[in-house]
Amino acid sequence: MSGTYIWRRIGYGLITLFIIVTLNFVIFRIMPGDPTSLVLSPDFTPEMRQLLLEKYGLDQPLPIQYVLYLKSMLTFDFGRSFYNRQPVLEELLARLPNTLMLLGTAFVLNVFIGVTLGLRMATKQGTRLEAAVTGVSLFLNAMPGFFIGLLLLLAFAYYWPIFPIRGTMSVPPPTEFWDIVLDRIHHFILPVAAVTLSGYGSWYLYTRNNVIGALSQDYVLTARAKGLPEQVVLYRHAFRSVLPPIVTLVFLSLPGLITGAVITEQIFSLYGVGRYLIEATTQQDYPVVQGAFYIIALAVLISNMLADLAYGLVDPRIRLR
Amino acid sequence: MGRLVVSDLQMHYKTRKGNVRAVDKVSFTLEPGRALGVVGESGCGKSSLGLTLLRLLPKNGEVVGGSIRLGDQELLQLTDEEFRKNVRWTKMSMVFQGAMNALNPVLTVGSQIAEAIVAHEQTSKKEAAARARQLLEMVGINPDRYHHYPHQFSGGMKQRAVIAMALACNPQIVIADEPTTALDVMVQAQVLKAMADLRERLGLSMILVSHDLSVVAQTCDDVAVMYAGRIVEYGPVEEVFTNPLHPYTQGLTQAFPDIDAERAPIVSIPGTPPNLINPPAGCRFHPRCPLADEACRRIDPELAEKGRAGHKVACLKVSDDGQAAEVKFA
Amino acid sequence: MSTNTRKRKSALREVWDEYKRSPQGMFGLVLFLIFLFIGVGAPLLTPYDPLEDRGLADSMARPAWMRFFPKYRNAPVTVDALSLRDWNVTVEENVRLEWGQRGEEEVLFVSPAGPGPARFVMEYSFDYHSDPPDTFILQVPYSFEGDTGVTGRAAIVLVDPSGDEYRMWESRVMRNQVRWTTQRVDSRDMQLKTRLGFRPLANLAHELIDEKGEYRFLLQFEIDGADDEKGATVTVGQSRFRIPGRLHGPLGTDHLGADLWAQFVYGTRTSLTIGFIVAALAVVVGTLVGIVSGYFGGWVDELLMRLVDVLIAIPFLPILIVFVAVVGKSISTLVVLVAIFSWMSIARLVRSQTLTLRERTFVEAARAAGAGPRYIMKTHILPNVLGLVFAALVLLIPSAIVTEATLSFLGFGDPRVPTWGRMLQNAKSFGAFTELAWWWILPPGLALTILAMAFVFIGNTLDDILNRRSSER
Repeated sequence: MSGTYIWRRIGYGLITLFIIVTLNFVIFRIMPGDPTSLVLSPDFTPEMRQLLLEKYGLDQPLPIQYVLYLKSMLTFDFGRSFYNRQPVLEELLARLPNTLMLLGTAFVLNVFIGVTLGLRMATKQGTRLEAAVTGVSLFLNAMPGFFIGLLLLLAFAYYWPIFPIRGTMSVPPPTEFWDIVLDRIHHFILPVAAVTLSGYGSWYLYTRNNVIGALSQDYVLTARAKGLPEQVVLYRHAFRSVLPPIVTLVFLSLPGLITGAVITEQIFSLYGVGRYLIEATTQQDYPVVQGAFYIIALAVLISNMLADLAYGLVDPRIRLR
Repeated sequence: MGRLVVSDLQMHYKTRKGNVRAVDKVSFTLEPGRALGVVGESGCGKSSLGLTLLRLLPKNGEVVGGSIRLGDQELLQLTDEEFRKNVRWTKMSMVFQGAMNALNPVLTVGSQIAEAIVAHEQTSKKEAAARARQLLEMVGINPDRYHHYPHQFSGGMKQRAVIAMALACNPQIVIADEPTTALDVMVQAQVLKAMADLRERLGLSMILVSHDLSVVAQTCDDVAVMYAGRIVEYGPVEEVFTNPLHPYTQGLTQAFPDIDAERAPIVSIPGTPPNLINPPAGCRFHPRCPLADEACRRIDPELAEKGRAGHKVACLKVSDDGQAAEVKFA
Repeated sequence: MSTNTRKRKSALREVWDEYKRSPQGMFGLVLFLIFLFIGVGAPLLTPYDPLEDRGLADSMARPAWMRFFPKYRNAPVTVDALSLRDWNVTVEENVRLEWGQRGEEEVLFVSPAGPGPARFVMEYSFDYHSDPPDTFILQVPYSFEGDTGVTGRAAIVLVDPSGDEYRMWESRVMRNQVRWTTQRVDSRDMQLKTRLGFRPLANLAHELIDEKGEYRFLLQFEIDGADDEKGATVTVGQSRFRIPGRLHGPLGTDHLGADLWAQFVYGTRTSLTIGFIVAALAVVVGTLVGIVSGYFGGWVDELLMRLVDVLIAIPFLPILIVFVAVVGKSISTLVVLVAIFSWMSIARLVRSQTLTLRERTFVEAARAAGAGPRYIMKTHILPNVLGLVFAALVLLIPSAIVTEATLSFLGFGDPRVPTWGRMLQNAKSFGAFTELAWWWILPPGLALTILAMAFVFIGNTLDDILNRRSSER
């Protein structure tokens, strides 16, 4: 992998970020109404109004506003929430751990279940077990994510009330450390299951199809002819050759997880970034929305670059594209 | 070292429309150190024969009869695991078309050679790697290219690497399936020479599967001509190619441009190989054969020695003393 | 030209012949046709408007077919007297009746026919054989206009099968003028309960309608003191009585008593429409971008493909939510927005196809003959990419449908349009889960899943066939 390759990728990434951030600026300014309404809630005190007006340069012409806007984005200064007047960054950071916990666990499970199952079933192609697993996966994959969440809720929180209906912790919260941990897990099982069930299918189908494709390649025939054990043929030859696109996909699919967070946190009323985004949107809490957008854009950018770099590392054929 | 004796080997592909009789009662003997060429049009079962010998058939391929004996061991009686451990690569190995896809693109060439050694011998990875370097050197590749990936090799180098790979576990028999097909003529010659040298040095037996008669003529001692899953003519290369008896062999020899005879017209045999699910009754070649008569449509000729010693042919139109009418294909 | 069209026709035939042989494809097609039938035939499949017709039965009534379960065999059915014409006049003493209009509403004018007291009774009777209902409601709009000295009285009486009478309401003595009022009798009215001698928390409907047999509601009017000079008129409007049923229609009712089957049926229509329009828009944009990008190459290609990369990487649901919140919740903006985020895969596909086509001899020949880029793109490249584009189009539809459903579910759908997503949103917000009302929750969700799968099956089958064909060429 050459240096120019990396620099080119970073360059593209920065351009992408710039476009998104600019779009963000434009969208929020073409909205009907007073552009100052972006940072100023109607119910701020006059002093606060004045202070913020000056700080964000909203009394300035648009180009200067744009520069100021870029500056505030670069310094992660998203202003204050209209709703509770707290700094947006703090509000976002307060909700981040829950979201990361939900998405992190679910994502690892998604990829792990999907890929291992795909690998297993690729070798069992044509058996009844494989047909059943593929059928179920296709079905779950076609099912809207939010509906999977609703079904889990209906079954395991309402019909058999094994799991809590809403929230991230019990009220009142437990005090002992291990009780807190268990309580958290108890609250997270259904949401994690929802994201996993709706997400593993695409990994499964992708891995299965690609491994089946790889297994029919000449080099797999060669590997078998060499008398390598079947496990070695499967893992070292077939799986290794489909690994590059899978690794890339792992990184590329990271930003898309926020979609899962929005839906799942809404269904299970979790205290997280995704639900906050919806709340902020319905409450027209624009500083929050802008901040959340910026963070999503950053996530997109970083994961894209990671994907490119990782692809370069796992696939020897890629040096310069 | 033992001889390879294949007798009455039958292999079918099971499909929804019926059984494809890809290898049908094939018998031949390969003496140690000899090279046998298997020729025929595509779809005649010659590649399936190679895959059958190494048990590399797809799931729907099944050996339904016959025997494959190597030395005094019946290979068809081994379990899959025994066959994998004790036959593949250690007794019989295979040279695939390297220029295409026989090397895994995401693994280094050297490691793909070394892994075969590790799979069969109690050696450390280090020793295996050292052996792999030697093998690369033996086929004329700089051993420092051990760590290179296939896409960094030229077509000819890939093919030679595949040959080195086939020799990794000192096999007695190497089956080469169209080893030079995708290469240009110059490289082809180099690769063939390398193979011939190695065979001589190591005393290998070889089965060369090819549609290219000139390649077989250059490298092999004996030749088997296959048509529709059967061997229709068998004998020493010289004898068969200079005195082809079966009309099909005659057609094939006319179909390839002889390098010596300048501007010989390239003739091909009209018609297509038959459907192997429902092969024609009688002689399978009769629908395309200019000599075919009523008997050919009814009687299935046996492969039998006719005329000179070792020259076998399956054709009713060849007399027992090896006299055959000359066939001209338009 | 004619040979060309004939060729295309036979190509279509071949694709169909091959398609027919794919069980997966045919299964998908059948599922799709069922949904298409439901969507197209929506007005024939239900008499109700999915959003406007509320209170068709009790809120969250169960599907009518649950009658086959012993538990609901006798569940209350809807008893409904919608208009005044459903009431029979049973007592007519010294009154003159006249039908007339009051605004849009048909009303009955009642006035004394001669001197002396006049009495008039209307009755609505119904046979009731179900379990006691949870509620009943009666509403009677009326007015009174009389000369001085003429008085009127009105009352509403319930007579149960055993002949017991309950005076549900009695008017004061009406004099001169009593303006148009709508008198409501509601079984949940606490004052009514106490007046009839029940506890305030008793369920009046359970207490009163507790036997099987004929019940009668009587509207009694009396006019007193009329003579030859002085008269009076009681005007009675469209009086309604209803016991909201606990069973209704194929899928029951929602929290407002609106018909869920109607919502499902019209939701099918919305989903299909949105799916097709989004896919069509995306295909137009994607094909255009792809052809231009692939044909011209260079910086045009670089720029467009960068744009595609960026758009593909963006998690678009959150963006859509904000856009919709900003631009407004209307179905047309939703369609456009979803389409904006859907065309990229088509553009990539078309671009790679164009790249290979560009090098083909017929394109080079056309270029050598002096054909312009527009002409070449239109006549040589476009027709050759259309096949694969069609398969990609079919595969876009399910994601468009699911995206719209998700937005609606999250509350960002068009409130004027019935959709499956909104059915589920309502189910979540208005207690379908606590009631375990699976007949409300499952149909829209499963329909989304099955319809999406149908398109995936069709799309995959087409993709296989068309890919094979284009690689064989």
